[in-house]
Amino acid sequence: MSRTIEVSLARAEGAIVRTLGLIERRGFIVESVTTRSDVHAEALVLRVEVVSRGRPLDVLVRQILRHFDVRHAFLVEPQAAGQRLVC
Amino acid sequence: MRGADALLDALRDRGVEVVFGYPGGAIMPLYDALLGSGIRHVLMRHEQAAAFAADGYARVTGRPGVCIATSGPGATNLVTGIANAFLDSVPLVAITGQVATPLMGTDAFQEVDIFGITLPIVKHSYIVRHVEELPRVMHEAWDIAASGRPGPVLIDLPKNIAAGAAHGAARVHQPRPAPARADEALLARAAGMIARAERPVIYAGGGIGIGRAIHAFRQFVAETAIPVVSTLKGLGAIPTDEPLFLGMLGMHGTRAANSAVQQADLLVAVGARFDDRATGKLDGFAPGAQVIHLDVDAAEIDKLRRAELALVGDLAASLAALGRRPRIGAWRRHCLRLKAQYAFRYDAPGDGIYAPELLRRLSVAADGEATITCDVGQHQMWVAQHCLIRRPERHLSSGGLGAMGYGLPAAIGAQLADPARTAIAVSGDGSIMFNIQELATLRRYNLPVRVLLIDNQSLGMVRQWQELFFERRFSEVDLSDNPDFAAVARSFGIDAMTVDSAAQVDAAVDALLHHAGPLFVHCRIDPAANVWPLVPPGHTNATMLEGNML
Repeated sequence: MSRTIEVSLARAEGAIVRTLGLIERRGFIVESVTTRSDVHAEALVLRVEVVSRGRPLDVLVRQILRHFDVRHAFLVEPQAAGQRLVC
Repeated sequence: MRGADALLDALRDRGVEVVFGYPGGAIMPLYDALLGSGIRHVLMRHEQAAAFAADGYARVTGRPGVCIATSGPGATNLVTGIANAFLDSVPLVAITGQVATPLMGTDAFQEVDIFGITLPIVKHSYIVRHVEELPRVMHEAWDIAASGRPGPVLIDLPKNIAAGAAHGAARVHQPRPAPARADEALLARAAGMIARAERPVIYAGGGIGIGRAIHAFRQFVAETAIPVVSTLKGLGAIPTDEPLFLGMLGMHGTRAANSAVQQADLLVAVGARFDDRATGKLDGFAPGAQVIHLDVDAAEIDKLRRAELALVGDLAASLAALGRRPRIGAWRRHCLRLKAQYAFRYDAPGDGIYAPELLRRLSVAADGEATITCDVGQHQMWVAQHCLIRRPERHLSSGGLGAMGYGLPAAIGAQLADPARTAIAVSGDGSIMFNIQELATLRRYNLPVRVLLIDNQSLGMVRQWQELFFERRFSEVDLSDNPDFAAVARSFGIDAMTVDSAAQVDAAVDALLHHAGPLFVHCRIDPAANVWPLVPPGHTNATMLEGNML
């Protein structure tokens, strides 16, 4: 089953690649990616649909949060986009 | 002022006195600025060694080490060192030259995308596109490398940016906040779990040394009197001759340590990450234990083993709130009986040199005060098992990456970080050849590093595994055509001696501790010697193989 992670990134060189690379490197499959600018165009908001091979998604979110360019990241609740389960 | 000058200004602002590197085309503006900068540059003979030396310097000082390389091959040669720092959480700032910005992306001479290459192995990285960014980037990189869970930060510096005028460059610097103490309610719960435990064990990791939490950790151990096991990188969190210390756990751990963990009902993991070399088969690790996991890095919690209670935050601050002594007299006595029952023996038969005995005697003669660096392989495990280690920063080992070639350059960094302390690089005949050129660095700077080469004429750890797990089908492990290592050392201008009998051990130990200037001791041992005990791959730590002393 896929889940969606939302990540807000500073507009910095490599930020998107760093995030997507981490997700795959930690053993998750990226099913889809969408990006948009936040309302002030200061950050990029990345929505990544991922499939876990049995590894915990909350740990992945905390690994993403370690990145310096990441403002926030959370798991989007299924069928209730925008609500936080883990942050 | 050029960009390179601004970068060096920022380094000086951070108190940097020594950097390690190797010049080349794209980094020439920085090397020009180094002249007269007041920063000492140590010319290593390979960029990988520069990264390892900066790593060793950082582990000893607790402050970021700095390494410098040019673009292309210079940068790629840093990669192993950067990965080593990443996996062992070592603060490192790696500065690479890059082709000028108009040439980037054109496959120019000595252009590689080192930013992209290193993305998975850095804590953060930068390509500096504008000269005015340099001071901010440098300060930010320093803070990122050193804060929280430390790690390497890469700064890729295009040649035209380093050479460009840095008029009015702002020195913006906002330190990152220090990690806080864990939640008070959780600390109280943890203290209660500890007080109620019947068979607790403390599992000490490298985070204790990295987080400079040694004093708090030792107070915690003293107050609770709980038996302690440690990871490879946790060695020295308490002195390894402390009665409550049961030894290293895991694949080459002690029977006492592994047995205690397997029988425990509570595991207090402090700055440890449940690495596979420590846990063995994960689903059989400490099967009856609840886990309290203390770590500064929230991403380590539940990564491999679920923690009943997680305490994320500064280790020293959290440990100070946990000191409640459980009533575990019988359990403690049981653990100490295990320790006595399975203590290492040193009465190896024959006239040859028994490497564990040599290492034990050397470290005891130094009273645990020397800095011992390691390469990777059998000698690395013998050092971990048998040396007296009083503090983590006196035992420098490539734990996560397991990088052969680490030991000698790391010892150079350690020697420069703490010139009054003896630095001994313990190596093997496989590993020494990875960075043997650094003997030239010892000679050039007359650094009194002592090299103890334990030579079994083979890639010993691989040979041991082929013997045990591949039906003795020995594949590409024979090194019986090694050079005359003592002669090689002498050719670099390093005093050297060769020893091969037990009767020569005293003289070797004396020379290693008291020789004036650098020294290379070539020690021949039995090629069939193995590291014992051993948890076979795929087994739990309850299964430990034993063999003969050779």
